Amino acid sequence: MKVDLYEMMSRSRLSRRRMLQGTAAMGAMAAMPKAMGLGPAMAQDSVRAQILAIPGVGMGSPTDADWQKVGELCLAATKTNVTEGEFAGVELTFLGLNNQNLHNLLFRGFLKPWETYTGAKINWIDLAQADYNPRLQQAIATGTVDFDIVEMGAPFEGDTAGRGLLDEMPDWVKTQIEADDLVGYLQPPVGTWDGKTYRITIDGDCHTFSYRTDYFGEGAIGGAEVPKTWQQVNAVSKALVGQTDPLTGLPAHGYLDPLKGWGGFGFYFIANRATAYVKHPDDPAWLFDPDTMKPRVNNPGWVQAIQDVMDLIATEGAYPADQINADPGTTAFSQFLAGTGSMLMWWGDVGSSARTSDTSVVGDVVGFGINPGSERRYNSAAGAWEDTANEAPLMAYIGWGVYVTSRVSGDEKKRKAAWSAAAHLGGKDLSLWTAAYPSGFQPYRNSHFNYDEWEAAGYDRAFIEDYLGSNADSYNHPNAAIEPRIPGIFQYYSVAEDELSKGFAGQYASAQETADAIAAAWEKITDQIGRDSQIALYKASLGM
Amino acid sequence: MSSAGDLLHVVTNDSISAGRKSFGRAIIWGSAGVLVLVAALQLAQVLGWQDLGFQTWRPTLYAYVLWAICLCWGQVLLHGEHGKRTLFVLPAALFVISLTVFPLLFGLIIAFSDWNLSSPTGRQFNGLANVHQMWADPFYWNAMLNMVWYTLAILVEYAIAFGLALALNAEIRARKFFRVAFLLPLMLSPVAVSWMIGKSMLEPRFGPIARLSRALGWDNPSFFESPWIAKLTIMLMDAWTFIPFMMIMILAGLQAIPKELNEAAKVDGANGWRAFWEVTFPMMLPVSITAILIRIIFKLKLADIVINVTSGGPGGATDTVTSFIFREYRDRSNVGYGTLLAMVYLVVIVIAMTVLMKLADRFARPRT
Repeated sequence: MKVDLYEMMSRSRLSRRRMLQGTAAMGAMAAMPKAMGLGPAMAQDSVRAQILAIPGVGMGSPTDADWQKVGELCLAATKTNVTEGEFAGVELTFLGLNNQNLHNLLFRGFLKPWETYTGAKINWIDLAQADYNPRLQQAIATGTVDFDIVEMGAPFEGDTAGRGLLDEMPDWVKTQIEADDLVGYLQPPVGTWDGKTYRITIDGDCHTFSYRTDYFGEGAIGGAEVPKTWQQVNAVSKALVGQTDPLTGLPAHGYLDPLKGWGGFGFYFIANRATAYVKHPDDPAWLFDPDTMKPRVNNPGWVQAIQDVMDLIATEGAYPADQINADPGTTAFSQFLAGTGSMLMWWGDVGSSARTSDTSVVGDVVGFGINPGSERRYNSAAGAWEDTANEAPLMAYIGWGVYVTSRVSGDEKKRKAAWSAAAHLGGKDLSLWTAAYPSGFQPYRNSHFNYDEWEAAGYDRAFIEDYLGSNADSYNHPNAAIEPRIPGIFQYYSVAEDELSKGFAGQYASAQETADAIAAAWEKITDQIGRDSQIALYKASLGM
Repeated sequence: MSSAGDLLHVVTNDSISAGRKSFGRAIIWGSAGVLVLVAALQLAQVLGWQDLGFQTWRPTLYAYVLWAICLCWGQVLLHGEHGKRTLFVLPAALFVISLTVFPLLFGLIIAFSDWNLSSPTGRQFNGLANVHQMWADPFYWNAMLNMVWYTLAILVEYAIAFGLALALNAEIRARKFFRVAFLLPLMLSPVAVSWMIGKSMLEPRFGPIARLSRALGWDNPSFFESPWIAKLTIMLMDAWTFIPFMMIMILAGLQAIPKELNEAAKVDGANGWRAFWEVTFPMMLPVSITAILIRIIFKLKLADIVINVTSGGPGGATDTVTSFIFREYRDRSNVGYGTLLAMVYLVVIVIAMTVLMKLADRFARPRT
């Protein structure tokens, strides 16, 4: 769980009475297996209840001692595959992040009992987010990979798995981590290349729709219904011009498009408008043609998405002043949470910050849903619009995973040790803890959406259902739009941001011209990285 | 002791034998030969003529270090005490040259390469392709044009800095306090300025400056929406940070002007305005030109505020060459092209600064 979400839960829900209820329930649950004579299944439930009580919701931030306790309690899965002291003398190097003092710092604690049990030793390379990409890419480009286990985002799979730098996951690991439990979109082909599995997923990501509940409903200024399509979102945004925000008394605004780049990440916000138009259920690809790497970003569907934004730019008052200089951080944290605007697409943190952030004023009037859809969709294969409604939630950035590098491939003992350590971090029970407590990771397994467990641990059920429900619906959507895991994907995004910035500032004559400029820049990047290899890797990532 | 050459302060009686001299020459030329040989072999491998199994360029580096040591040692062998004197400077000179020449050389190699970190083929020499790409790159030339505007703003900054320096040079109350207070913006990190001013105070709805603008009758104040206002706002933030720098240099210059000159002008009947134009300003020209030239160098590196506040927008209106290179290099891992842009920019700066210095030299020569 993200830190702010945890803080919000802790602050908003916990009364002494409720906590005692939770503790009593958990105590009762822990006692149940024996009393009811139930077997191992309940023993596992007991582990889950036990770890959820470490340190206890609202009992302050977990410490290293807590992480070690959780690691110890979750060792059962490891013990089925590894005997005590089996990896004595093995040394492994683990490269990961230290964002917000999480990630690697948690892994250290979780793996401490694993080290004690197996006899292996782990050396750590901690990197700040800003240093991570250059460090990884330089290691790859200069052939100096000096780590055995790596925490990595899916967009880098093209750079690593695509170049044979990763070790294929052994079958026993798949069983140990119960990979079937992963939510829909994280199932293969995500995590696989050419049919081989490399990734132990430890996180999930997607864009969800946040809206102001006081704008919508009977007699509300935004209309009776919450918009479900981009056509409705735009219509409402235009209709709100000249109205007054019911909460702040300032001018009312509709959807908040970030019009400024954000180091590549800003592209997700035009993509989540476009997926509804261009992600066809019959076709996994939506950014490029898998056979030619020809960009689809200038097809009529994408152009419509860009045109939608341009329409709102042209509507005086549709956006707050200076929107051209608003990046996604601004739209979420300076605008939406501060009471400006009524609709937003973002990752999970906005829902949590709505109630925790001191600058947020919308905590009580925020609701969640999935990525808006469209009344029609563009069929790239047929080259024509279809008058069929379409929904395609964008799985923006596929979340973190743990991978084992091919450095260990030659040494079976070391290889098993590396996979065992990685599997411990991606274990089903341990992941429940990372989903529920500050870890930097979001829920990513179907078992994480068992709201009873959350409620028993002391969380507020209504909020958890609304908030996590929108995530679950997006993750398991049959037409989820998953971004290409090809080398340099953020280069494409970054250059698109530059061209969109020109388009939104009126330097191109039309949406089509803007899209054509992006397509031309993408073709250049593809040629530079190597078209044939990109095609091969794109197909491999799509499982084609 | 030899009886020729500069014998002042020579204390050691060096009698250098012919054998020692030839040994000295031998190690210098020998190690140079090793260096050339190793470098040539490595080059041959890189060019694909033959594979000698070199993994890195370290052998050449080691050969270079060996040659440097032999060169230093050789000085003592060949020239005795004079050689030892050379040793005071030679290692430092070699070190500095190594740190400038080698990176420049590698930089040039990268600049003429097609090197995208995501490309599986790695670095490929691509001749002048990057130059052609640069020539046709509207983003780069837009950034260059912006730099011209940003640089021209220095003239205004200079006038303000001069005014402030004159004020602080006068006998005013709390002069020391003002001197320190005026310097404070310079002590702030540009990133802090970006966030405190660009992102907070200029925030169009709640920022205090936006509120003030509204109170003054500007309906919808927005500081980064139209290209020219955005450019102007960036100029203002940068000026606010760096005017104190020019001011302090000019102030130092003002304090170095002998009081007698102004007094003599006064005796001759010059009023304040006249005394300023005829005495103070001409006397200040050399300092002013130095201040402006250094300020231009600072200005040409302008990037942090732009990256943090506008990312070069709207539509590239505030982009600087450095912020563009930053995006090209960091966000797009386009190492080869990014390096070429930086190299070209370096050359442009060197040429422009040389021309400016020549002009300034002619302009600042005392009028007689």
